[in-house]
Amino acid sequence: MLDHCSISHKGGLVLWSRSFTPDAAALALSSASPVNSLIREALIEGRTTEEKYEKDGYAVKWTFVNDLELIFVVAYQRILQLTYVDDLLAALKALFVKMFQPFLATFVASLHALNSGKAAVVEAASAFNFADAFDGWDRVFDKLLKNLEEKAAAERKNRLRPAVRPPIEDASPPSEEAETLPTQSPDTPQDEQQISRNVQALKNRLRGRGGKMGRRGSARSDAGSGRESVPNSDSESPAPKRKTKAKVQRKWGDEAPTETDMASLDFSVDSVQESGSSQDLQALVDQASMGTRTRDGMYEVKDWEFSKEEDSAIARALGPAEAEAKTGSLGALGSLFSRLTGLQVCEGVGESLVGKKVGGFQTTNAAVRLALSTSLTRILTPKTSTDLLLSIRTKLSSALPSTQQRMPYSITFVGVNGVGKSTNLSKVCFWLIQNGLRVLIAACDTFRSGAVEQLRVHVRNLGMLGVNGAADSKGRVELYERGYGKDAAGIAREAIAYGRDNDFDVVLIDTAGRMQDNEPLMRALAKLVAVNSPDKIIFVGEALVGNEAVDQLTKFDRALRDFSSASGGGKERGIDGMLVTKWDTVDDKVGAALSMTYVTGQPIIFVGCGQTYTDLRQLRVGNVVQAILAD
Amino acid sequence: MDASRFLFVAGSLVAAILFLAILVFFTRQKSKSRGSSLLLVGPPDGGKTAILSTLVYNQTLPTHTSLQTNASVVAVPALKKSLTVVDIPGHPRIRNQVDEHIGDAKAIAFVVDASTVSRNGAVVAEHLHTILNALTSLPPSQALPALLILAHKSDLVKSGTAASATSESLAINRVKTILERELEKRRISQSGGVAVEGLGEEGERTEMGGLECTGEKGVFNFDTWEGGEVVFLGTSVKVGSGEAEKVDEDGLLSLRQWMEENV
Repeated sequence: MLDHCSISHKGGLVLWSRSFTPDAAALALSSASPVNSLIREALIEGRTTEEKYEKDGYAVKWTFVNDLELIFVVAYQRILQLTYVDDLLAALKALFVKMFQPFLATFVASLHALNSGKAAVVEAASAFNFADAFDGWDRVFDKLLKNLEEKAAAERKNRLRPAVRPPIEDASPPSEEAETLPTQSPDTPQDEQQISRNVQALKNRLRGRGGKMGRRGSARSDAGSGRESVPNSDSESPAPKRKTKAKVQRKWGDEAPTETDMASLDFSVDSVQESGSSQDLQALVDQASMGTRTRDGMYEVKDWEFSKEEDSAIARALGPAEAEAKTGSLGALGSLFSRLTGLQVCEGVGESLVGKKVGGFQTTNAAVRLALSTSLTRILTPKTSTDLLLSIRTKLSSALPSTQQRMPYSITFVGVNGVGKSTNLSKVCFWLIQNGLRVLIAACDTFRSGAVEQLRVHVRNLGMLGVNGAADSKGRVELYERGYGKDAAGIAREAIAYGRDNDFDVVLIDTAGRMQDNEPLMRALAKLVAVNSPDKIIFVGEALVGNEAVDQLTKFDRALRDFSSASGGGKERGIDGMLVTKWDTVDDKVGAALSMTYVTGQPIIFVGCGQTYTDLRQLRVGNVVQAILAD
Repeated sequence: MDASRFLFVAGSLVAAILFLAILVFFTRQKSKSRGSSLLLVGPPDGGKTAILSTLVYNQTLPTHTSLQTNASVVAVPALKKSLTVVDIPGHPRIRNQVDEHIGDAKAIAFVVDASTVSRNGAVVAEHLHTILNALTSLPPSQALPALLILAHKSDLVKSGTAASATSESLAINRVKTILERELEKRRISQSGGVAVEGLGEEGERTEMGGLECTGEKGVFNFDTWEGGEVVFLGTSVKVGSGEAEKVDEDGLLSLRQWMEENV
């Protein structure tokens, strides 16, 4: 059932692992193994929100032992619904730690030679023999797995049994064939009671029909209907009786309720016997949020606390023992966490702190702060190179077959209306020109009036600005425009072709702003992307709108991926990077930057922070983390 | 009465002096132990943790991507000394941990997977560039750590035509050529470029240096690199093997020899 199971140290050493199929064994050794991608994508990049990670048809679950720095990972086929994996992980964790605690402690100490005494470590390290140390573990694991699998199988059976029975019952009420088959009633034994009941039912039915017909006033049909209903009731009524003898008589509302009925329906009085009543009362009032009573008996409502929820989330994550003692000091972190938009970040931090020993001179506050800052830095640090210039030059200098012409490097700017796509495109253009590249701007915003003229003005200005001291940079930048109302994808393609023929280095494609929910427009954008396959797609978002930008970003990314894979050659294409504009308007409230990198995992390439061409900056991870963590 | 008081004062004085002496002794020792570690850095899946495991435990445990730094003490039997080996994760998001350790480094071993370097040369070069930059921007008061480049997994490099060349030298050649080419690309793209300023700090150096060479026209070449000598070694380990007796036969022989000579 399982495919792979491993116990390893956070430093990367696998202490014990087992693969259950040859495929999984081969995969486990490669760098693309589920465990590796789990660590890379879910743990280091912090991109998973659930406690389950899925990759290439594998579902992976994991758990930590923080004080021994161990990770327990179980991988299985995603299509299997294994219910016992969580139990398995918990049991593995408990057993493994219990059985090998001393060995593991020395092992972990040997990997922290910087902090601990040296001599002792040398002695211990040479004496390690992992095969011997985990000698009995294989057997224990087998037994544990077998137990759990059996239990799961038994549970499934239990679950299936009641599920199997109803179909039998469902099938038993007579179908149309059963009604016409007279053989059914003779071969079933009927006691006298049943017979009498049948007679009664028959009579009832006849009377009912008769009444109805009688109202119509037709005596002839009365007899006919009585006759045809005989086989009906004959087979109809005994069948349910046979199968559901225990069925409780349905109570109709037309008879007067008895005393017991009254009692069972009366919910206003709590029955005294119920033990839970006193606890219920307590649950109604949350002691933690109770106000204070002043000395002269006045009840004062507690002040509103913004940080309450996050605070308790962290306290919960820290584990019961620590939480009780430390909630006080954690209160100070409230403002800190309320700045973080995603609680997932907090939870991840909390998880990484469970079971950690806080050093002698370190307060919990400091420890949490440190862990948070590490995790924020990790999220914000780009995983790919953000060096745009390098990738442009790499593309331009790459060797080509002589028959092929060199394609210019194309960058598409996408985003919502009014975030500053054109403005920041011209800033990027200025920077590229300063680096001695020839830039073509493609005016693919064929919708908003004035869009082309805006770019024309920018091109004129940029053309007049000097490059590296040289007075005239004319010829370094040009505008490719085809007026309004045309197909943007077509213009972009023509522009790239024009750029290729005229030896431009970079083509900047300006697109029309569109709302992220507007499907036809998003399709059009995806078509532009699919047709031209630009080297970079940069999402332009404004810092001003805060987390709305995150929604925009996710929807743009999603829509581009969906539609471009549908229309293009089947290759998914998403956002490659972000440009955050109007950064100067938000002062130190920079949480959106964190959220934006968090949800896509793509880097923020530039930050726009002013009105002039030079107001383009690179984001510094340290600054953002500092701004977020500052009180 | 006076005598006992005098004795008490003298005793406490002696105790205080002793305490201070011990403190000084320990801090001295600590400062002496600076610059004594070997850092294993490099892109992920290069084999850093496997090397660490082989050096420390004399057996090669299977590994996966590291989440945190490992630091272990390795005894160098020939010199009756020990050396701290620090294995720093290679994932781009956490590889900046090298900055914390570079201050105490005696040597830095940049581990490259020789079997895949031709495919992801640009990424490897970017990582190496950050290391070179960190090395050259160290304060001048500090002795420059030696830079080793390990062409790891050399057993996986297939020798195409020349049967005379060993797989190790082949791996070294390949790694060296590819890295020089990629670093030269990076150098050219930076030398002519105007970088975008970093947000906030105006005065700080924003672009990465560390690629200057003394050779003609400044073309990047490991032999003429301004940061000192770069040693190339070919290594390999076998996962799963690991008997203590086979120490001399394993693929880390060259690394062990180098450690004996230079530590």
